Amino acid sequence: MRRQLAVLATGFTLIVSACGGGAGGGSSPTTAASSSPTAAAAACTVGVSWNNYQEERWAKWDEPAIKAAIAAGGGKYVSNDAKSSAETQASNVDNLISQGAKVLIILAQDGTAIKPSVAKAIQNGVPVIAYDRLIEDPKALYITFDNVLVGKLEAQAVFAAKPKGTYAIIKGNKADANADFLRSGMEQVIGAAVKAGDIKIPAGAELYTDNWDPSKAQTEMEQILTANANKIDAVLSENDGMAGGVIAALRAQGLAGKVPVSGQDGDKAALNRVALGEQTVDVWKDARLLGKTAGDAAMQLCKNSDPSKVSGTATFKTPGGNSLSSILLTPNPITQANLNDVLSAGWITKADLCQGVAAGKVAACG
Amino acid sequence: MGVSVPGEVTKEGQPAPPIRSFVDALRSALAPVTGALRPLEVDTRLLGMVAALAVIWIAFDIISGGTFLSARNLWNLSVQSASIGIMATGMVLIIVSRNIDLSVGSMLGFLGYSMAMLQAVWIPQSLGLGFEQPFTWIVTLLVGIVLGAAIGGLQGFIVAFGGVPSFIVTLGGLLIWRGLIFRYAQGQTIAPLDTTFQMLGGGTVGTRVGALGEWPSWALGAVICVAIVLLQVAARRRRRRYGFPVRPMWAEVLVGTVTCGVVLGTVWVANSYPLPPNVAEQVAAARGIPVPPGGIPTGVAFPVVIMLVVTLVVTFLATRRRFGRYVYAIGGNPDAAALAGINVRRTIMLTFALMGSLAAVSAAVQTARLDAAVTNLGVQNELDVISAAVIGGTSFAGGIGTVPGAILGAVVMQSLRSGMVLLLVDSPTQDIVVGIVLVAAVGLDTLFRRRVS
Repeated sequence: MRRQLAVLATGFTLIVSACGGGAGGGSSPTTAASSSPTAAAAACTVGVSWNNYQEERWAKWDEPAIKAAIAAGGGKYVSNDAKSSAETQASNVDNLISQGAKVLIILAQDGTAIKPSVAKAIQNGVPVIAYDRLIEDPKALYITFDNVLVGKLEAQAVFAAKPKGTYAIIKGNKADANADFLRSGMEQVIGAAVKAGDIKIPAGAELYTDNWDPSKAQTEMEQILTANANKIDAVLSENDGMAGGVIAALRAQGLAGKVPVSGQDGDKAALNRVALGEQTVDVWKDARLLGKTAGDAAMQLCKNSDPSKVSGTATFKTPGGNSLSSILLTPNPITQANLNDVLSAGWITKADLCQGVAAGKVAACG
Repeated sequence: MGVSVPGEVTKEGQPAPPIRSFVDALRSALAPVTGALRPLEVDTRLLGMVAALAVIWIAFDIISGGTFLSARNLWNLSVQSASIGIMATGMVLIIVSRNIDLSVGSMLGFLGYSMAMLQAVWIPQSLGLGFEQPFTWIVTLLVGIVLGAAIGGLQGFIVAFGGVPSFIVTLGGLLIWRGLIFRYAQGQTIAPLDTTFQMLGGGTVGTRVGALGEWPSWALGAVICVAIVLLQVAARRRRRRYGFPVRPMWAEVLVGTVTCGVVLGTVWVANSYPLPPNVAEQVAAARGIPVPPGGIPTGVAFPVVIMLVVTLVVTFLATRRRFGRYVYAIGGNPDAAALAGINVRRTIMLTFALMGSLAAVSAAVQTARLDAAVTNLGVQNELDVISAAVIGGTSFAGGIGTVPGAILGAVVMQSLRSGMVLLLVDSPTQDIVVGIVLVAAVGLDTLFRRRVS
């Protein structure tokens, strides 16, 4: 039953990606003509395996940037979507290779479950880029925003607002290594204060959230507030979606805007909450930069499949004890003070950013 | 069914299967109780469920050191149960007529998304009417309900007139509606929503609270009590007129008192949960009064009011209208129903349309509560809704199931879930417990029912 469904899903994605390829084909002659020096790479097909489109970004920002970088290098783009299923993703990876992919970019649903597929691809001479999320394979190229740094920046903004008090920590999906990277970055900021007893994390106030689900985060926050009689002074939420759930729970207790809350991803709704003063910080990782870096790296891997020869790489020690080549990009924490950064980058319109913000309250909104 | 069924007639001389003897023992132990309950004409299985719920609540309360049965947690629980409860009422009718709807979670997501787009983008921006119009919430809700009835009705049409099994049609729906969200939302979260619309989720915006407040809550309780008594009187008269036996007076009074007691007790709990201090200060300031010493009572939350209204309406449809009679008749025996002149296809299609519009109501409650539409809204809700209906005594064999039972089932499920969050149980363990409870509840119920028949 499950396998049948998976086959159905892959079949569907094949059709979809075939359509996408057809649409993209119209624009390729121009790029091919303008980039004759890279004629060797012209035949290079880059396969991208997405884990899902649930979060506000992959389809909107990452994919176009990757496509553009690959087109600029004269390559061809194919992709499929695993719809949050590690099992589907494994067959999707095989699929991309049989579609002729010479380089793979994988946004892993589960960094461990994908390992056999990745190992197989690398054995077959197809280099793999672990996109945004870690894959524990020493031969993969890991390209991401520095997630430990993201966690650190989230915690710094909240810690600056509430250096003492009771903290709740809403973490993401347990199977996603990022949840723990973010948490370790937070530890760098609050660890000393927790040891000194200035910051308390009550039992049950730090938990993982299945699939980073905002509704689950809301219920979790309601129960944390109930169990602690509202005595929660700050919330470290690992991403924007869950921050939305947390803030909805806080608002019901009249605490929104009074309790600092963190987030990341640069969701429109979250940036609006920053402008409204309900969310303290939104660590913004310009997905277009990530996509472009990965696309460029893929084109370099077409010529030389050794990840350590890609420009800008450094060695990264993984929690699993591997060391692999990586490119870590630097994120930008957005608070009320620097909202102009997202406006001037064209990431969000002023109308969306400032909806409901009273005039004269926030500089960026006028 | 090719499996051997315990409890069926055993061959002469063979020892009775252990499960059967256990059930027999349990039944004979309970015989005096069921005998005493007979004049009350209360569904004993419903009573069993209430008893199970009581056990769950008391156990959680003891383990959590008194937090679980606090007014605040019960209030939260009522709001958290509402969205599943609303859909479970419709699912009862679907399952009673021997169908299934697997698409409710995806429909909910699709409808929630459409309603969010309507109020946050289309009305204010595309039509240029601006944000926070007084009509936005009701227009959004009505459009959502109509759209829900349309897509539910479409699925029902394919089931009833196309002859495609409902399992397949709604499995397709599960994929299609979810796929459509991804396709046209591109993973974007739609927020913030209209502030009046947010009230439907029971949340708080500034000084506006998504609950009835103290006196309206009591009034609601009183109205429901009066309605219950009037219904009892009417039913008694009708039975007299047709020469049916009536309950003894003491039984009538007891049933009325207990039902009213439950309703008023619920109101009392909702009113003993005071508004959070921060909110209370603002509300008091807005009304120009000092904060009373006991705080300002919150009252029954709007999602719960919506659930109560939906329960009343669907119960009325199911028990007092021709439509409902047809649904149960079809579930009991589809061929006999068709031969008796019932328009089976039309009735089936209507149950799916009703399900779609209830999914829209739930979608409104969920998006309003979160103040956002996210792409995984309603994921796996179909499982919770079907479980609620089934724990509440609805039978897959068709023809059996009650709307209040399904609401009770939803409360049982949500009690388990939120109680376990309170006790720091991680989510895989929660799933295991809920799964066991589901199978055990239906298993026990099946055994008992087989012995009765």
